[in-house]
Amino acid sequence: MGEGKYMEQDSECRNKIKGQLVDFQWKLGMAVSSDSCRSLRYPYVAVMLKVADHSGQVKSKSFEMTVPQFQNFYRQFKEIAAVIETV
Amino acid sequence: MAGEPEGSRALGGLLSGLARDAFHGQPGITEELLRSQLYPEVPPEEFRPFLAKMRGVLKSIASADMDFNQLEAFLTAQMKKQGGITSDQAAVISKFWKSHKTKIRESLMNQSRWDSGLRGLSWRVDGKSQSRHSTQIHTPVAIVELELGKSGQESEFLCLEFDEVKVNQILKKLSEVEESISALMQPA
Repeated sequence: MGEGKYMEQDSECRNKIKGQLVDFQWKLGMAVSSDSCRSLRYPYVAVMLKVADHSGQVKSKSFEMTVPQFQNFYRQFKEIAAVIETV
Repeated sequence: MAGEPEGSRALGGLLSGLARDAFHGQPGITEELLRSQLYPEVPPEEFRPFLAKMRGVLKSIASADMDFNQLEAFLTAQMKKQGGITSDQAAVISKFWKSHKTKIRESLMNQSRWDSGLRGLSWRVDGKSQSRHSTQIHTPVAIVELELGKSGQESEFLCLEFDEVKVNQILKKLSEVEESISALMQPA
């Protein structure tokens, strides 16, 4: 995953109505072994988001991050917090 | 077979082709392609068992995610076997694993992830101002775009809006995740 970046003018979100995050659930998992690899041994962060659209309808979206990806995700949110505080 | 220096290069190429086929999902790497490109003088019926043997060795190493001690022990055992590998071949395999281990492991990890992964994150902060009667109210909002996608599929974009309160709520959750990760990484 690329480092978080400042959203460009032509981003996908530009003309979309933004969703509101209603819930954020997380899970720290450990992949142990699989069909193709008996020795996986890696931790991952699984996230379940509940997002409300403009009509109030709530949809769930889940995704996974490796630990380094999570750390970047966290770093980006800290930066968002720092900026939003100063605006 | 494949004991001379040219054989080493061919074997290196073979392992690379096998890895691209088995781990990195590259299509079209057939037995015939590998033979004709790397071992053109070897007849197909002789090449086939050789390829199977090398594929088996590479898969065993990758499946166990062998460290260098395990690798050495494993290759030594393979050399002692009837119809096993030569010491030159062991050297090539060892060199290959050392330089490709990380990338192969990453591919195996991606193969085992069936949910969407986070492909990208971008954001900006807007100072939204609204007029309430004659007073201007400034409520800064963060717009976050998450790019999600499953292996081999097109990305899906989630566009979310957060006010300062919400950002801090998320931060609190993320710090809980970080605490859990630290606890996990602590030696037992």
